[in-house]
Amino acid sequence: MELTMQDITKEFQGFHAVDGVSCHMGKGVYGLLGVNGAGKTTLMRMLCTLLRPTSGAILWDGQDIFRMGEAYRRILGYLPQEFGYYPDFTVWDYLLYISAIKGLRPAAAKKRAEQLLKQVGMWKQKDRKMKKLSGGMKRRVGVAQAVLNDPQILILDEPTAGLDPGERIRFRNLISELAEERLVLLSTHIVSDIEYIANEILLMKDGLIVQEGTLEELLAAMPQQVWRCRVPREQVGEYLKRYKVANVKTALQGAELRILSSQRPARAAESAEVTLEDVFLYHFGEKSEEENGNSEGADTNI
Amino acid sequence: MEKTIIWYEIKKVFSQRGGKIALFLLAGLLALCSYFALDISYVNPDGSKLYGVEAARRLREEKRAWAGEVDAETLRRVVEENNRILSMPEAQGDTVLESEITYSRRQGFDDLRDLLNEFYAKGFREYDYYLADHLSPDQVTEDFYENRVKLLREWLADEDSGTDFTEKEKAYLVEHYEDLDIPLRYDYADGWGRLMEYMPSICMVTAYILAYLVASMFSCEYGLKADSVFFSSAYGRNRAIRGKIAAGAAIVTLVYWGIVLLYTGVVLGCLGADGADCQIQAYFAGWKSLYHLTNLQEYLLVAAGGYIGSLFFSLLTMYVSARTKNAVAAVMVPIFLTFLPSFLGGIQASLLDRVMGLLPDRLLDLHLEVRLFHIYQIGGTVVSALPLLFGIYLTLSALLAPEIYRVYGGSFRRNRAG
Repeated sequence: MELTMQDITKEFQGFHAVDGVSCHMGKGVYGLLGVNGAGKTTLMRMLCTLLRPTSGAILWDGQDIFRMGEAYRRILGYLPQEFGYYPDFTVWDYLLYISAIKGLRPAAAKKRAEQLLKQVGMWKQKDRKMKKLSGGMKRRVGVAQAVLNDPQILILDEPTAGLDPGERIRFRNLISELAEERLVLLSTHIVSDIEYIANEILLMKDGLIVQEGTLEELLAAMPQQVWRCRVPREQVGEYLKRYKVANVKTALQGAELRILSSQRPARAAESAEVTLEDVFLYHFGEKSEEENGNSEGADTNI
Repeated sequence: MEKTIIWYEIKKVFSQRGGKIALFLLAGLLALCSYFALDISYVNPDGSKLYGVEAARRLREEKRAWAGEVDAETLRRVVEENNRILSMPEAQGDTVLESEITYSRRQGFDDLRDLLNEFYAKGFREYDYYLADHLSPDQVTEDFYENRVKLLREWLADEDSGTDFTEKEKAYLVEHYEDLDIPLRYDYADGWGRLMEYMPSICMVTAYILAYLVASMFSCEYGLKADSVFFSSAYGRNRAIRGKIAAGAAIVTLVYWGIVLLYTGVVLGCLGADGADCQIQAYFAGWKSLYHLTNLQEYLLVAAGGYIGSLFFSLLTMYVSARTKNAVAAVMVPIFLTFLPSFLGGIQASLLDRVMGLLPDRLLDLHLEVRLFHIYQIGGTVVSALPLLFGIYLTLSALLAPEIYRVYGGSFRRNRAG
């Protein structure tokens, strides 16, 4: 069970959405972390054979996935970022329809759909119309459809986007449950999703995989140290200009800053433990701020 | 597996509000056309009127008394009876009641009286409603059928009308006219007549509604952003697309024949199916037709034409839907093709008229087409419009299906960055 990306590039009118990505993946959960526009969706769409790479090859156990065609799609499950559904179908009808286009026989499809709906906690809602479901419920049905065919490769594109914290935790647990005995590639820009469930993390920036490894490896490879210090309120702006600041927390007579720096930023600064959020900020700091000032990768709660 | 896909594709269409509204409209169309078709009247001897099924029953009784071969003897009887009625005092009066009483006496042979007006017409395009009233039994000669061919020859020889046809086409028309099996047989056939009167409306509206129903079958995956899951599934690029095409064809087949057969059942059930084997030439509206068909054959032809027309429009709509990923653009296609002749109708050009005779909307109104002289000379052979219409649109429909498969199968490869 090995998915290999060999120097794959996807170019859109001169713009390199994915730029020479090479990677090997086996069984386990892989977290693809990057800001919006990093190329995650393009990469995932190529892995789902929905887009052809401009150059390079994607192999499954040594075979080109585009040549494998239907045989490859039989072992693939995909939950896209924009999960579309048929609003007037009931949950049950929706899953049976997807089962049919995934090649499951009707009897097996009914059995599998029931099992999965129970697993994702949607069995009681099976007769509800898809359009009547909440965002979290739709996502759970989305995951159920992705694993209907018991895929060896499960690709989940931003599966927790738009979910409330409670739903996100439930969702992470569900993914962990489903991840056994298959390759799961999970893309997100929400650091905590990856931190808890990914065996291996790939950081993607401007179409490139800038770093990959386990959580421990990424933390150990962090080239800068993390510092915690309390500064007067009027100096906060100066620190924000000079350093990458992971967090600003208002405190009595000043603010408590979490700073990424090779050198101690202030005499009173104390060394702190590096987290994946710090690694994310180190790599994507400016981009994530540009993208959304309140990104969960870099909270700036002044 | 494909059966399940087809079933769910059909369910997708009819689970939408638009699908339910379309079914409601079809039921309304069926009710309305049946109501108008059954709106038949019978005039009682006192001049009062009866409507509906009872009227049809009485009319049938009276008309069946005149059933049989249309020969000189029958026509003489018609003329004699007509003259007897016209000599009665009510026929001389000018009130509506007197006129109705007169009509009540001749409604049993009114179809044959209409035929007399055609048999003894002075010109091919001439019609005099009162001509039969001026005939005496002696004027009914054995050779009245020959007048049909004679008038056609004269009309074709005319400088104004004859120039629309080549010599081969003229010969073709005359030859077909001469082939008419005589004597014709007459029977009560109001059931067929009323049925055919509203068949074009049934075919046309059903074809539009069907095109509307299938318009979103291919574009919906994109419109609902369900395309990624669809195309990344095992059958998303082969069987599932075939399933969509088959579901579209199944919807057209089931809905079209459902509506047509229900309408036929209601009308013929109420008005009777007598006269099925009588030729359409034995009735005023079909006398000049180039096609020698019985009432039943004409019905089958019109129904089959409507089906092929609906199938072609729906496949074309599905093709545009697959190509443009836009249901609105797709549903505009049949509307455009149907209204095109109306826009071009004002242009007086023989060639244009002939081209318009081959547009797909003609298949939805074969009841009229059967009565038109749309003929085409291809090389040295002259062909009438009907086989051409069936041939062209059956072939195009057969070509559209694999083309939809090809276009939609490749449509997911759009360039979209993420």
